[in-house]
Amino acid sequence: MREIIYALPLPYHLLVISMARIDLRNVDVQFPVYSISSRSLKKHFLSVATGGAVVSDTNKHVVINALKNITLSIQDGDRVGLIGHNGSGKSTFLRLLSRIYEPSSGDININGSVSPLLDIMQGIEAESTGYENIITRGTILGLSRSKIRDKTAEIIELSGLGDYLAMPLHTYSSGMMVRLAFSISTCINPDILLIDEIFGAGDAGFMEKARQKMISLLNQSSIVVMATHSNELIQEFCNKALLMEGGCIKYFGDVKTALERYQGKK
Amino acid sequence: MSTNEAAIHGTPDLSLDNPDDVIFPVISQRTLAWQDVRDGLLSSHIWLMLAYRDIKLRYRRSLLGPFWITISMAITVYTMGFLYGHLFHMDLQQYYPYLVSGMLTWALISTAIVELTDTFALSDGLLKKIKLPYSLYVHRIIARNFIIFFHNLLVMLPIYFIFTQGAKINFNTLLLLPGLAVIYVNAFIFGMIFAMIGARFRDISQIIKNFVQVVFFLTPIMWSPAILPEKDKMIVYLNPVYSYVELVRAPLMGNSPTLLHAGITLLMTLTGAVICARLFTRYRSRIIYWL
Repeated sequence: MREIIYALPLPYHLLVISMARIDLRNVDVQFPVYSISSRSLKKHFLSVATGGAVVSDTNKHVVINALKNITLSIQDGDRVGLIGHNGSGKSTFLRLLSRIYEPSSGDININGSVSPLLDIMQGIEAESTGYENIITRGTILGLSRSKIRDKTAEIIELSGLGDYLAMPLHTYSSGMMVRLAFSISTCINPDILLIDEIFGAGDAGFMEKARQKMISLLNQSSIVVMATHSNELIQEFCNKALLMEGGCIKYFGDVKTALERYQGKK
Repeated sequence: MSTNEAAIHGTPDLSLDNPDDVIFPVISQRTLAWQDVRDGLLSSHIWLMLAYRDIKLRYRRSLLGPFWITISMAITVYTMGFLYGHLFHMDLQQYYPYLVSGMLTWALISTAIVELTDTFALSDGLLKKIKLPYSLYVHRIIARNFIIFFHNLLVMLPIYFIFTQGAKINFNTLLLLPGLAVIYVNAFIFGMIFAMIGARFRDISQIIKNFVQVVFFLTPIMWSPAILPEKDKMIVYLNPVYSYVELVRAPLMGNSPTLLHAGITLLMTLTGAVICARLFTRYRSRIIYWL
């Protein structure tokens, strides 16, 4: 397949190569758990001082296998819904795709710019005004100043906060904060969009606007991976589902089958 | 899609979607470490913004804002100058500028060291939510401390008018720029090292905080090496912090730092760079798991 692609004339082959895709091969993610005792230097020194006999005991970290032997490919156009119980590895999987966690073993290849919407409230500062937060959050998301300026009108429109944007965020209600955070976070156009449970923000009026925004964002992105506990959302937006359990892939494919299997487990 | 399903149903271990089709790039840890450092430099707009915001938030709603930095520094060093000048029976014309410029430099170096040790440990929220270069967080802390230092520099202004013998503005003053550049590079190199160690071993930041206190008394800041007997003078030169301080203090007073100090800092920079490169290459991918 690769050979065929490379055989194409230059602009076409670049076009195909630049298509977003995610490939993982035998990926493991392991978390060392540093208990209070093992993290302190004292233990380290003591274990050296005692001559090694205790070393294996005190320094043996408990390791959690957050993801085990994950092998899959996600291609351009895929909208993957992540399902699984709490602690099944959904969030870790999203962070792996965001390149925050690097695999303990295995290979990973991601083509395309990744935008994680893992926590929309991240980087939102209560003492700053709405406008300042737009700039801060926008910059962290990788937008240039001029891009942020262009997007500001859109953000104001979507959030519907009007003059409140000139006020510090601690004067906002929690619903208003979510509106602002949502509006800023969704003003991106990524190739690969990763979402972790961000639906359900604000009052009924905003919900509808947010929904429209999400749909347009989903349509713009080449690949979407979203973790959610809402079966309706997965059925509505996703063409594939990934069922996870205990850090392993239980099923990857058709949405209906995945949900049935998931519910069958319950 | 059907191949995916089949593969998952059967042997979960099997590669999906024609495994030969996927080329997994082999990128060495060294390259990744360099990329991190390079991307950190390229995203200067992010860390400058964050550094600036840190300072703005600290003085939000206060009338004078960041100039409180200048004022509190002025109160501290001006009173210290009088107190110690009289206690040590020093010539104020010489001692006062020496102490003030030394204290400004020390404030930059010491807070940078202390804050850098906690860099990763305190940025865990951001680190776990969005992929940014690790070096970016270190730049943020250094930039913040440099902004504070530039506010503090105002404290020197009256000194140039009152203590004209001890502090002069001349060509040597220009050496402040390379001096600060060396401090920045070293803060980055050692900041990366300390931040990594501080993230892995949480006691380290406490140890360093106490250590910095001790170094303050061991380094000629409140006292001049001239008061030491000749045979003990060598001890002062074994303290690299003295060289770093001299690199900034001397130009502030209108003097040129000696070649010896320049040599010591160069040696420190190179040694630090080697250690930093090794540690960062080896442990970069583990940092996130330490938080």
